[in-house]
Amino acid sequence: MKIKNIILSALVVLGFISFNGVANAGCGKLVVAEQNWASAELMANVDKIILEKGYGCEVELVPGATMPTFTSMNDKGTPDMNPEQWANAVVEPLKEAVSAGRIIVANKAPITGLGEGWWITPGTIKKYPQIKGMTAVEILKHPEWFPSKEDPSKGAFVGCPAGWGCQIANANLFRAFEMEKKGWVLIDPGSAAGLDGTISKAADSGSPWFGYYWNPTSMVGKYDLQPVDFGVPYAGAENWNNCIMLPDEQCANPKASAWTKSEVNSIVSANFAKTGGKDILSYVEKRTYPGPVMNGMLVYMADNQAKGSDAAVEFLKKHEDIWTKWVSSSVAKKVKAGL
Amino acid sequence: MEFFTKFPVMERSALADLRKGIDFVFRDFSRSYGDAIEAFFDPVLFFLVRFEKIMINTPWPIIIIIICSLAWIGSRSWKLVLGTAISFFLIGYFGMWKDCMATVAIITVCVIICMAVGIPMGILMARSNRVEKTMLPILDMMQTIPSFVYLIPILMLLGIGKVPGLIAICIYAVPPIIRLTNLGIREVDKETIEASEAFGATKIQKLKTVQIPLALPTVFAGVNQTIMMALAMVVIASMIGVKGLGVPILRAVMNQYLALGLFNGLAIVAIAIIFDRISQEYGRRIQKHRGIKK
Repeated sequence: MKIKNIILSALVVLGFISFNGVANAGCGKLVVAEQNWASAELMANVDKIILEKGYGCEVELVPGATMPTFTSMNDKGTPDMNPEQWANAVVEPLKEAVSAGRIIVANKAPITGLGEGWWITPGTIKKYPQIKGMTAVEILKHPEWFPSKEDPSKGAFVGCPAGWGCQIANANLFRAFEMEKKGWVLIDPGSAAGLDGTISKAADSGSPWFGYYWNPTSMVGKYDLQPVDFGVPYAGAENWNNCIMLPDEQCANPKASAWTKSEVNSIVSANFAKTGGKDILSYVEKRTYPGPVMNGMLVYMADNQAKGSDAAVEFLKKHEDIWTKWVSSSVAKKVKAGL
Repeated sequence: MEFFTKFPVMERSALADLRKGIDFVFRDFSRSYGDAIEAFFDPVLFFLVRFEKIMINTPWPIIIIIICSLAWIGSRSWKLVLGTAISFFLIGYFGMWKDCMATVAIITVCVIICMAVGIPMGILMARSNRVEKTMLPILDMMQTIPSFVYLIPILMLLGIGKVPGLIAICIYAVPPIIRLTNLGIREVDKETIEASEAFGATKIQKLKTVQIPLALPTVFAGVNQTIMMALAMVVIASMIGVKGLGVPILRAVMNQYLALGLFNGLAIVAIAIIFDRISQEYGRRIQKHRGIKK
């Protein structure tokens, strides 16, 4: 009697396990990093929903940030995936980890049109239509279009907040483009809130604004900031890494240069490739958010003070045309049903 | 039971609408009146920019001589004058001269504005109990509300730069001078006032010749506190684009530059101590000739 019971229960358990195995179709438990800024939150939550509903994986989100998440993935092999890894911060260790097979770069550009650079507000174009299509080099000839509040005879170029890496880069580019001689002042906005404040104030009142910002951000989406082409090519890594990025006393002769390209990857661990299988890897590979759509989502998040999980549902409902291309039609159906 | 375990919260969407509504009302307000308010502050900005330029462009020995002679006029103490000279030499020697001058310039203007607003306000409070009752909670709020909270509307209204920085500093630094002017006048001896009334002094005469002179030491304590609090706000003002010693401190905090932060922090301390001692000594000296010893 007893033995019968044991065998029976064992069979039942076995049955459950094998049944589960069939349902998950080769996908197990995955840990995905949810980094602490809006676009990364959104991507992590979209991945969670698609992997869980579409591929039957079990996904756990863990909080993260650029450096800690990468270090943990590299050393411990967990989390299994970082949807938005800013690669400039980890160039060398990433190369090493990829060649050792610990990490796989599953998607080289999960968001299009991203990066740092110089921008103008649409109000600027409205006031001075001739600025459309002008490069930075040409705009720099017209400091009178952007009068500084404190010294209206000079043009205001809004740089980066004190203490950020981009502050140094902007100060060196300010010298490299000889902007002081051309009649410009470099405004230090003091903080991220200060920088955002100058933009929203200029955009609200329709006055011209010229300065540094980066993409993808809700500011770019909300105020429709226009990127400015530098008008000079990228002058090489030697100039950028060994001069532009260093404090001005260590950078005697900065060369005018376009902003270095920001590289963002979706990286996954070796374990992810093993448990997830080919289908899931190909999903990650195809999953590219067009820049304007991403910015639109960030504006939605900022306006509604929405969390990543809410925004992910909003994205999946609103932008079906985009994400259904990332997955097979049967998976898309499952995800839609699960929403 | 649920009523007791769960706090009755406003509905989520209504709460979000309320927040959004407040934001929109203020945004509309700043869109329609922002330029006018900015224009109103233009003279202050003009004065600030000029004053900072003068401070920075004047050759450093002249500035040191001026500050040292101010120290002498205020305190009549050789020790203090020497200390002032050495501090400013060190500040310059460690490469902080320009930032230091920018900070001294904005603090000076702030203190002048605080005195111009605060002393009349304090007098008004001392003369009317009703004004005192309404002002006290406002002063409490100005001193305790986290500065970042009022930085948001100031940023939306005026953008970044010297004027918004000046307003942020003044909001924080003006309460002590109002409070202490009020206190000083209210504490003037009743019998002295009676005596002046017996001689037929008008209200203005009483104020000018009895109350204010007797309250002056307390008022000076207020000025002193205002200077200290204005200096404490220098770093926060730098977060909205005010140049000065606060900028390198922000840079130091962001990048964990210990020495840079320490140097600039100590420079602020040095300025604070110098101004504190000068104004305190001055306050003590104006008491001295009246024979009150401390």
